[in-house]
Amino acid sequence: MIVILGLIVFLLIVGIVIYNSLIGKRNQVTNAFSAIDVMLKKRFDLIPNLVEVVKQYTNYEQSTLTKIVELRAKATSGTLTDEEKASLDTELSSAVKGLMVTVENYPDLKANTNFLNLQTTWTESEEQIAAARRTYNAVVTDYNNAIMMFPSNMFAGMLSYTKIDVLETPEEERKNISAKELFNN
Amino acid sequence: MDSEINSKTNLQDILNTLEVDRKKIAETYQTSYILFGLALVILLVGLFIRFVALGIIGCLVPLIIGIVMYFRIDDDAKKYKLTYKTSIVGAALKDINDTLAITPQSGLPEYEFISSELFTIRPDRYKTQDLISGIADKTSFWFAEVHAEYKTETRTKNGTRTEWHTIFKGIIFVADFNKNFEVSTVVRPKSFGDSIGAWFSKNVFSFGNTEVVQLENIDFDNKFVTYSRNQIEARYILTPAMMERILDLNRKSDDTISISFIHSKMYIAFPLSHNYFEPPIHSSLLVPDLLTYDLSIVQFMQDIVHELDLNTRIWGKE
Repeated sequence: MIVILGLIVFLLIVGIVIYNSLIGKRNQVTNAFSAIDVMLKKRFDLIPNLVEVVKQYTNYEQSTLTKIVELRAKATSGTLTDEEKASLDTELSSAVKGLMVTVENYPDLKANTNFLNLQTTWTESEEQIAAARRTYNAVVTDYNNAIMMFPSNMFAGMLSYTKIDVLETPEEERKNISAKELFNN
Repeated sequence: MDSEINSKTNLQDILNTLEVDRKKIAETYQTSYILFGLALVILLVGLFIRFVALGIIGCLVPLIIGIVMYFRIDDDAKKYKLTYKTSIVGAALKDINDTLAITPQSGLPEYEFISSELFTIRPDRYKTQDLISGIADKTSFWFAEVHAEYKTETRTKNGTRTEWHTIFKGIIFVADFNKNFEVSTVVRPKSFGDSIGAWFSKNVFSFGNTEVVQLENIDFDNKFVTYSRNQIEARYILTPAMMERILDLNRKSDDTISISFIHSKMYIAFPLSHNYFEPPIHSSLLVPDLLTYDLSIVQFMQDIVHELDLNTRIWGKE
């Protein structure tokens, strides 16, 4: 009798631990995505300033600037899903990178303190977003493993938890972003 | 050019003077060891011919002379070591990098050793020496020899027995890190216990505030366990490129290194058994490869700054 009772208590404890850990993992995924979101917002806020400074010095990059402004407006419109926002950011990021390369042709702009500050903040946010995306992918992998592996997959079925896709890491983010690469292209 | 030749001649002069001191010290040490040996022989002979009192009294004379000689020359030996380090090593460092300087009696303070979070055990005995500091381009760095130990006391029939265990012996390298961060991130070698701890903390409970960060570089994750209170910040510091560079650095070290990022600095602990920057006593100073081995470690430490790309300052930290 005691053995059966002990077994029931043990199974109950195991069940609670698995259930809680599943909920915890799911919350970590939500949390990791909101961290990316916060960083993306921070970066979107840099764009108006960046465009303003670049405008003062260049007359020929209007099309790039217009594209960047449009992308930013789209990204902050609030009608996008999280995935769309993330992919839009990738596009925006490569557009800004293209702009940074053309800066090479404008020595005055390159020497502008305001621009240099913005550039530094941009690369910093780039690296932070890359870190946040990697964190998201790590917690998603952890969560996916949990909902697919026995015995936690039984609880996942009950909670109707499904697999979540990891974010594709853009090729450039796999490398460390260095000033050399930005300017010597 | 002239000044260079002058400094080389000066250095040779100092070496010649030090060589005289060294010979004197070596000879005195040898004499005192002979006297200790003689004392032992007299004592044994006394015991053998059953004149114990004669043996004891007879051995006291060389023993006392030996002890006095040994301790008197010990001060000279300390002075000799200090002059060697400040003058010879100090000058040789300038050949590698003009900003390099040695402070033999300084080191990494104990509080910094503890706050670096490199090791989890608090030391009961702590020795540090030979602080070398310099600047490589935009990054200031310094390193020192450290020997940290903890003690265990066990009760035996005859009282308590104290045993000393090494926490760390080797060189701790510190550099100003090129990114801003708020919380600490610690990378420790993965041992069997750590692997189990990491598995539990990931799958069952979280212990305290420090969490295990599982990184996507499999080689890195097999070699090290990474702890941080902020998963994103840990990855901001440990970028894929940084992890590769750390693995490369680790391959050059015989034992697995430990790294921490804390208080805007980066700490690397290299376990090494050799005592660096010590002058020879029983062999000549006037040999061409006198400093080769010691300088190679200095060059290695300076190269870390380049290898870990710490001079790339584009992340909002000057």
